[in-house]
Amino acid sequence: MEKSLAQKVNSPVGENKLRIDAYEKVIGTAQYADDIQFGNKLLHARIKRSPYPHAKIKKIDVSKARILPGVKAVVCGEDFPGFIGLYLKDRQIFCRDRVRYVGDPIAGVAAISEEIAEKAIDLIEVEYEILEPVLDPEFGASSRAPLIHPDLGKYVVASFIFPQAGSNISNHFKIRKGNIESTWQKCKTIIERKYHIPHIQHVPLEPHVAIARVDKSGEVTLWDSSQSPFAQRDLIAEALGITQSKMRVIAPLVGGGFGSKAGVSMESLAVAIASKVKGYPVKLRLTREEEFYTAFVRQGLVAYFKMGCDENGKILAMENTFYWDGGAYTEYGVNITRAAGYSSTGPYEVPNVKADSYCVYTNHPVGGPMRGFGMPEMHAGLEQCIDELALEMGMDPVEFRQLNCLKEGSILPTGGKMHPTGLSQCLEKTAEAIDWGKKALPSAPNKRRGKGIALMWKAPAMPGNAGSSAFIELAEDGMLTLGVGCQEIGQGAFTVVAQMVAATFGVPYESVRLATPVDTRYSPYEWQTVASRITWSTGNAIIKAAQDARKQVINLIAEAWNENPDDLDIVNGNVISYKSEREIKVKDFAVKGLPKPDGRGWMGGPVIGRGSFMPTDVTGLDAETGQGEHAVVHFTTGAQAVDLEVDLDTGRVEILKAVAAFDVGKAINPDLVKAQIEGGMVQGISSALFESLMLKDGYVQNPSFVDYRIATSMDIPNSMQAIIVEVPQDDGPWGARGIGEHSMVPAIPAIANAIYDAIGIRFEGPPFTAEKIYLAMMEAGIIK
Amino acid sequence: MVKNTHPTLPEFDYVKPVTLFETSQFLFTHSNDSSPFLGGTDLFIRMRDGVIKPHYLVDIKHLAGMDKLDFDPQKGLTIGAAVNMNRVINSPDVQEHYPLLADACKSVASYQLRNRATIIGNICNASPAGDTIGACIALDGVLHIHGIAGSRFESLSDFFLGPGKTNLKPGDIVTAISFPLPPQGHASTYVKLGRNKLSDLSIVGVTVLGNIDTKKQSGFRFRVILASVAPVPLIVTQAETYLSSHEVNQETIHQAACIASEASHPINDVRGSARYRREMVRNLTENALIKVWKKLNQ
Amino acid sequence: MTFHEIIVTINQNQEKITVPSNMTLMRMLREVLALTGTKNGCSAGECGACTVLMNGEPVNSCMVLAVECDGAEIITVEGLASDKQLDPVQDSIIQTGGVQCGFCTPGILISSRALLNRNPDPSDAEIKEALVGNLCRCTGYTRIIDAIKEAAMRQKAKE
Repeated sequence: MEKSLAQKVNSPVGENKLRIDAYEKVIGTAQYADDIQFGNKLLHARIKRSPYPHAKIKKIDVSKARILPGVKAVVCGEDFPGFIGLYLKDRQIFCRDRVRYVGDPIAGVAAISEEIAEKAIDLIEVEYEILEPVLDPEFGASSRAPLIHPDLGKYVVASFIFPQAGSNISNHFKIRKGNIESTWQKCKTIIERKYHIPHIQHVPLEPHVAIARVDKSGEVTLWDSSQSPFAQRDLIAEALGITQSKMRVIAPLVGGGFGSKAGVSMESLAVAIASKVKGYPVKLRLTREEEFYTAFVRQGLVAYFKMGCDENGKILAMENTFYWDGGAYTEYGVNITRAAGYSSTGPYEVPNVKADSYCVYTNHPVGGPMRGFGMPEMHAGLEQCIDELALEMGMDPVEFRQLNCLKEGSILPTGGKMHPTGLSQCLEKTAEAIDWGKKALPSAPNKRRGKGIALMWKAPAMPGNAGSSAFIELAEDGMLTLGVGCQEIGQGAFTVVAQMVAATFGVPYESVRLATPVDTRYSPYEWQTVASRITWSTGNAIIKAAQDARKQVINLIAEAWNENPDDLDIVNGNVISYKSEREIKVKDFAVKGLPKPDGRGWMGGPVIGRGSFMPTDVTGLDAETGQGEHAVVHFTTGAQAVDLEVDLDTGRVEILKAVAAFDVGKAINPDLVKAQIEGGMVQGISSALFESLMLKDGYVQNPSFVDYRIATSMDIPNSMQAIIVEVPQDDGPWGARGIGEHSMVPAIPAIANAIYDAIGIRFEGPPFTAEKIYLAMMEAGIIK
Repeated sequence: MVKNTHPTLPEFDYVKPVTLFETSQFLFTHSNDSSPFLGGTDLFIRMRDGVIKPHYLVDIKHLAGMDKLDFDPQKGLTIGAAVNMNRVINSPDVQEHYPLLADACKSVASYQLRNRATIIGNICNASPAGDTIGACIALDGVLHIHGIAGSRFESLSDFFLGPGKTNLKPGDIVTAISFPLPPQGHASTYVKLGRNKLSDLSIVGVTVLGNIDTKKQSGFRFRVILASVAPVPLIVTQAETYLSSHEVNQETIHQAACIASEASHPINDVRGSARYRREMVRNLTENALIKVWKKLNQ
Repeated sequence: MTFHEIIVTINQNQEKITVPSNMTLMRMLREVLALTGTKNGCSAGECGACTVLMNGEPVNSCMVLAVECDGAEIITVEGLASDKQLDPVQDSIIQTGGVQCGFCTPGILISSRALLNRNPDPSDAEIKEALVGNLCRCTGYTRIIDAIKEAAMRQKAKE
C-alpha cells in the first residue's frame, strides 16, 4: 500500500480556512439544480405512482392523458425494458408488471406546466390485482412469505453480494469465526436482546430535483442534485442502453444529501421521460411529501444480539442476527447489509463471532444509503447490550469499553488486524468531557438525570476499486484551478480539497479555484461522494496531481537555472531556490513557458497536473466465513456521551450536554470537522428523540413536516462539545480519514444508555418520544 | 390512504371585494365553491392537500375594521380579524390586560407564520388543536359577524360544532373578536405539549384562567379549557364548578386535574395516543392550575 | 383562472408583474423574476427556506399569494447586502461556520436580520425562538446562533 505523500510545508492544511463556497451561499447566488434557468422550452414532469404496497399491474390506459392539451409525452414501463441498480440490478425504471411499494413509479408525464402534468397523471387509468404485502423483514425472510422478486436469481449482481434465489433475501452476509457454540459456557455473563429500529428519512432541506434533456443525436444531459454524477452516468446509461460517454451529468451544489442523493433514485425517471421529447429539457421535482417516501429512506432493522464475557469482563463471543427491512428494491441496501455484517461486533475485539446479516425485501419504501450506512441502526442496540454486560458484571461502562475496545493490532471480526486508532483516547476524552463518574443532580424534583456513553466505528463501505481522480491547471493570473469529481453537499469537501491542493502545490488557499459544477464531460472521475471517503480518497488523488504539476514546474526551473530540483520549492506561488535564493512567479511561465537560457527557442508549456487514486489492497471476504485479510481501507472510530434529564410529568427528554470525540487522523480543517461533529450529533439526537416513518400496512402515515418532526433550533442540547483526536492514518492525506457520517452513529445508544441511567428503563427501539417514556414509567411504577 | 399533495396551490380565482356587504353577498351566492381567507395558513395547506377545492378565494383582510386593535379602558379589547398574531403579542395593551392572549399566540408555529396567522382564522378553522381558542373562551370573547342579514354578535360557547365545523352560515364573515374587561387581578396561563419544544401542533393544550370571585363558595373562579382532547375545544365545566365550590388547595387542584382528565375524550392519532393524552391532561392541568394559583396568591 | 397586475418593490426595485391568482410569492420570485436565492423546501410553511421580508416582517413566501403583494416591499436574500458590504448577519455566519449545504441559509439570514431589527441584543433563548421556523439539517444550529450573537455585537460596535 502506498504511503501518504504528505508535504513538509503543511499550510493551509490544519487551518480553519473559511469555506470556499460560503460567500455565494450567503448572497443567494449559489446555484442548486432547481435554480438553473432553462428558458421557454422547459417542460415539467409528474409521476403516476402506485397506491398499493404490492400489486400486479393488469392494465395501464394513458390515452386520456396523452390528449390533454399541454401534454407532450406520456411514458410507462413497457417503454423501458432495462434494469437499474448499483450492486444488484433489481429495479425497473417504470414498473412493468408489478408494483412493490406505495409510490412505486408506473408512468410519467411531461407537460408545459406542472399543473397540466398533474392533471394528466389523474387521467391515467391503471388496473391492479392486489397482492399480499410483506410488511416485516423476519416474515419476509421466512418461507411463508410471498415472493416480491420472483426473478431474484436472474438479476445481475456484484460479486460480493449473495442473494438467495427463490426467497426475499437479496443478500446474506456471514461471519463464522472461532468456535461460538463452545464459548457460551465459558462466559460469566451473557446478554441476549432484540431491538427494532424504525425507518427514518434523510430530510435534506433541498428535495430531489432532476432535469434531463435528450438531444436528437441521442446525447443525454442530466442536471440534478446529486452526490454521484459519475455513478448516475454509469447506471442510467446502462439501464437505457446508451454508452456512458453519451450520458452527461452536470451536478451543481447540493442542498443536503446525507446519502439520499447517492446512486440513482428518481433521476432515471426524468431521463426516461425526456427521451420521448427530444430536444426539450424536462424537469422533475419531488414534493416534500414525495421526498419522505418515494426516493430513498433509511431501512428499518430487526436485530438480535447475543454476547458474553468472561469473569474479567473480556468479551468472548457475539452472535448477532440482523434482518434488514430493505424495502421494495435493495439495489443499494444489499451493501448496507454487508457493511453491518463485517462491522457487527462493534469496535471491540471479539474472538468468537457468528453474524448473519440478511437484506430482506419488503413492500416498504426503498431503503438506501443514509449517514452511517447501517452503523447507526446496528450500534443502537449493540451499544446498549455492551452497557448491560458491563452493568451485569458490576463494571463501569467506560472501564468495560476500555478493556474491550479495539487497539492497534487487535484482531478484527473479519480476521485482519486493526490499524493504529485513537478509539481509547476518544473514549477517555469523551468520558472526561461529560464528567463521567460524577452523578449530577437533577435540576428539579420532577426530573431524573442520567449520563450515557457509546462507541462507534465505521469504514467506507465501497467496492475495493472505488477510484478518485483530479487535475490541476494554472492560469496567467496565478490562480490554480483544481478539477475534481467530488461533490459539495455541505460537508465542506470543496474547501478541504482546495486546502490540500494549495498545501501540496505551494499556493495560498485564496489562489485556488475549483472547476465546478461537476460535469462528467469535463470533470475527472469520482466514484461517489459517499462513505466519508472524499478527504481520504480524493485527497490522495489531489496530492498526486499537485505533485505531478509541482514536478513539471520545478524540473523546468531547475533546468532553466541549472540547479538541482531538490534545492527548489514552490511557496506562495513562487518558485524559490534555497541555494541561490532566486525567485520566479509560477504564473509568469505556467501557461506560456520560458525562453531558453540561450535565447534560442522556448521551454516548458502549459502546466497540467494529473492524479489518480484507487485503493489496491482491499481483499474480498470469504462467502462462508466473512474472513479476509484486508476487509476495508480503514475505520474511523469515536465516542459520544450525553447528560440528559427526563421530565416525570411529560416523559420528555432534554439533552443538557452532548459531547463527542472522533479520531479523524488529521483534521485538514478543524473547524469543519467540528461542524460535522455538531451537525451529526444533532441529526443523531433528532433521530433518537423524534423521528420515525410511521408505516402501517405499507403506508407512511406521516409524510410531511407536520408529523415527521426533526430537531429545531429549540431542541438542541444546552451545550455541545466536539473533540478531535488525531492518530494518523498511514495512507491518508497528512494522515486524514473521514468524519462526515460518523458523528451521527452513536447518538441513539448514548441517549438510551443515559435514559437507563436516569430511570432504569430500556426500550425496544427509538424514537424515545415523551409518550413512549412516560407510559413506560407508568408501567414501571416510577410515576402513578 | 395516500396523500396526493399538489406540488403547488391548485387553480382558483382571487377575489378582493370592497365592502362587507359585497363580501357577504359573494360568499352567499358562491357558498359551495368559495372561501374567505385571512392569512391562509390553514386554508392553503388544505387546498394543497386536496381536501378542499374552492373556485374563489375571497381576501377579506382589507375590509373596514379588520385591521384594528383597540383597547378601551371602559369597554375592553377589540381585535380585528386581520390582525396577525405577532401584532397581538406585541401590543402593550394585550400584554398588560390580556396576557393570556399573548401567551396563547406565542405558542403557535413560528415567527414567520405568526405574521400571517390570525386569532379569527384560528377560531374559524375550528381545529380542536387551535391554540388561541381556549384563551378566547376564557376571556369571554364575542365574535362580530357580518352576514347577508347584516351584523350580529356570537359567543364562543356554541360556536364549535365539530372538527373544522362552526356555526357560521353561508355569507358569514367574522370581522372581529371583542373581549370585555377581564376580571380584576386575574392570573392565567396556556400550557402546550408538543413533540418538539416549540412550533408543533398540540398533543394536549391547557388554558387556565383564575380570579378572585367573592360570589363563589371557594372565593375563586377558574376557567379550564382543553385543546386536542375532544372534537371541539373542551370547556371542563365540571372542573370549573369543582374549584368554585371547594376550598382551593394542592389536593383539590389535583382533583380538578383528574376531573379534567376524565372529562376529556381524546383519540389515538399520529401525534399521540388517547391514553397518553389523558395522562397529560391531568399533569398539565395540575401544573397550570398551580401556576395560576400561585400568581393569585402573590 | 384570473390574472392580476401588481406593482411590487423587490430589493428596492419596483416591478410591474402580471400573476395568476394561485401563484405564491415564492414562485413569483423564483419563476417570474429568476430570484432563486429564496428556496423551496416544502411549500407548506414548515421549513422556512422560503422566508423573505414583506413590509419589513419575515413571512414564508410559499404561504403568501403574489397578488397579495400589490403595493408591498419585499426583501430577499439577494437584497440584504448593499453594493459595498455584506449585512452583518451574512458576514458573521461565514465567520462562525454557520453555513454548510447553504439551502436553509437565505431563510435563516432573513429571519436573523428581522430579529436584529426588532431586538438588537437578543439572548440565546430569544435567538432560538426566533429561528424555530427555519429548519436546518446540517449545522445543528449552534454556529448559526453564534453568528447572530456576533452580528449583534458587530452592529452595536458600529453605533
